[in-house]
Amino acid sequence: MRKHLTDGELRAALDGELEATRLQHLDTCTDCNERKEQLQTESQQSARRLAFLASTDGSVPSAQKAWGRFSQQNRIRKEFSMFRKWFSFPVVRFASALILIVTLVLAFPSTRALAGELLKLFRVQQVTVIPVDFTGLEQLTGDGALGNQFTDLISNSINVAQQPGDPKEAADAEQASQLAGFTVRLPQGKNPSQIYVTDAAAFTLIVDRAKAQALLDEAGRSDLVLPETVDGAEISVNIPASVSVSFGTCPKPTPDSSKVKEEQIPGRAYPDCVILAQIPSPIVNAPADLDINQLAQIGLEFTGMKAEDAASFTSAVDWTSTLVVPIPRNAAMYKEVTVDGVTGTLIQRPSDDSPKFALLWVKDGILYAISGLGTNSEQAIEMANSLP
Amino acid sequence: MIGSMKNLKTEVAETVQEESGSSGFEALFMEHWAHVYRILHRLLGDSSEAEDLALETFFRLYQHYPLPEKEFNLGGWLYRVATNLALHSIRSWKRRERYELAAGRYALDETPEDHPAEIMAKEEEHRFVRLALAEMNERQSQLLIMRHSGLSYKDIAKALKLAPTSIGPLLVRAEREFEKHYRALAQEELP
Repeated sequence: MRKHLTDGELRAALDGELEATRLQHLDTCTDCNERKEQLQTESQQSARRLAFLASTDGSVPSAQKAWGRFSQQNRIRKEFSMFRKWFSFPVVRFASALILIVTLVLAFPSTRALAGELLKLFRVQQVTVIPVDFTGLEQLTGDGALGNQFTDLISNSINVAQQPGDPKEAADAEQASQLAGFTVRLPQGKNPSQIYVTDAAAFTLIVDRAKAQALLDEAGRSDLVLPETVDGAEISVNIPASVSVSFGTCPKPTPDSSKVKEEQIPGRAYPDCVILAQIPSPIVNAPADLDINQLAQIGLEFTGMKAEDAASFTSAVDWTSTLVVPIPRNAAMYKEVTVDGVTGTLIQRPSDDSPKFALLWVKDGILYAISGLGTNSEQAIEMANSLP
Repeated sequence: MIGSMKNLKTEVAETVQEESGSSGFEALFMEHWAHVYRILHRLLGDSSEAEDLALETFFRLYQHYPLPEKEFNLGGWLYRVATNLALHSIRSWKRRERYELAAGRYALDETPEDHPAEIMAKEEEHRFVRLALAEMNERQSQLLIMRHSGLSYKDIAKALKLAPTSIGPLLVRAEREFEKHYRALAQEELP
């Protein structure tokens, strides 16, 4: 006599999924049939509750329209992904990736403004935004030969003098001010959930013109020619300690943003998180004969910007005092707003699945940034205006 | 249930994608959009959330594109990822609050001739079902969702990378677990 059917086999029998040889036993076994009936009663309850999962009622949104949304969002995601990859380079991993990359690529003082001085000094007094197509930098941020060449160039050109280390938690604004070395401002009537201080960082960049030009050539942009004077130029960058104040449930700041994995849909993990960051202006020293306008123009053209647009932008910016923030061209929009008694810039990423906003402004030599998720950017403006 | 089972069987038939480029992906998107949306809509009861998560499912698929030939079980992959996203969404209390309200509103919109009290009672039951599934072990939830959506043991086994003979025993355990969670949730809500 064959052995009795297991509960699993009886369940398969109820679903018409039991193999024929085992079904034969069921035909003759009273005991198994009794157990099958018990199991049926048991599973009918669940089946009744779960039956709505099989419903095919209700209309389905047009696949054509959905494909349109998919294509648009996919482009935005791709561009934003490039943006994130770009900012995750080792050299950009310090407290303020944004400031650093801008400093390296664009924000050097103009020769006209400081002609005759041995060193040029850069300090942030205002912010301006430039939309850049980051997909133009895909080759540099990828794992291909060009990406490796770029990584080598950066790592061989940079000497890190001071690493910022892991962010330290501060109990309150007073302690954060002591640790950071400047007066930290907190919005009135709001209780921060976390305050972190990231130490100062410093590095020196020595330009290797031959390697940088070879990279441009390799990328198919031999039309962009770096000036001879750039070779061997030493640029030092000092980034002061910064403070990050979180409101709501926020992730702990990490010195390496490239290791942050988004397990959920971007933006849904911390829906009520708003972060206020404060950092005194970084200081950049560069040789007096460095033609910043020309370098900025080359950088912008490399991203795909037309020569005349790049020229128009570079000539309109006061490089001695302006923090130029590159934003993804198709994935973000911006406008000027008055906050904290000065003019600030509100950047919004109007994505369907993960809208984000960032408000940037400079006051009394301190750069402030409020960033959050969602579309309610008004809260950033209110927070900025409530700073004492 | 059996009728819909046959439809769903064909919906999750294994597809081997041989084309490349965005036009190939567009064709794939068009073919599977309704199927993925329906899975999510049934699970969430919220059309806008279902649409967002259906798009997210295709974004994740796009990351694997072009798909590896033959061995890639597209139907199963889509089912698995879509249900995971839905369960994750239900677990998030903020989203849960939103879909609970939306689900009730949707039900009233769709069946205005029915008695509102009955609709609300039915939606309450659906809410407990969703919460119970979200509380359970992910694989057990997926198993129940797939089976009660009408998939055959063979299709479930393929989608979840299990032996077909293990589906019966796993279903018994999953349904018992589900009942435990459902009753606990219903008990919590008693006045």
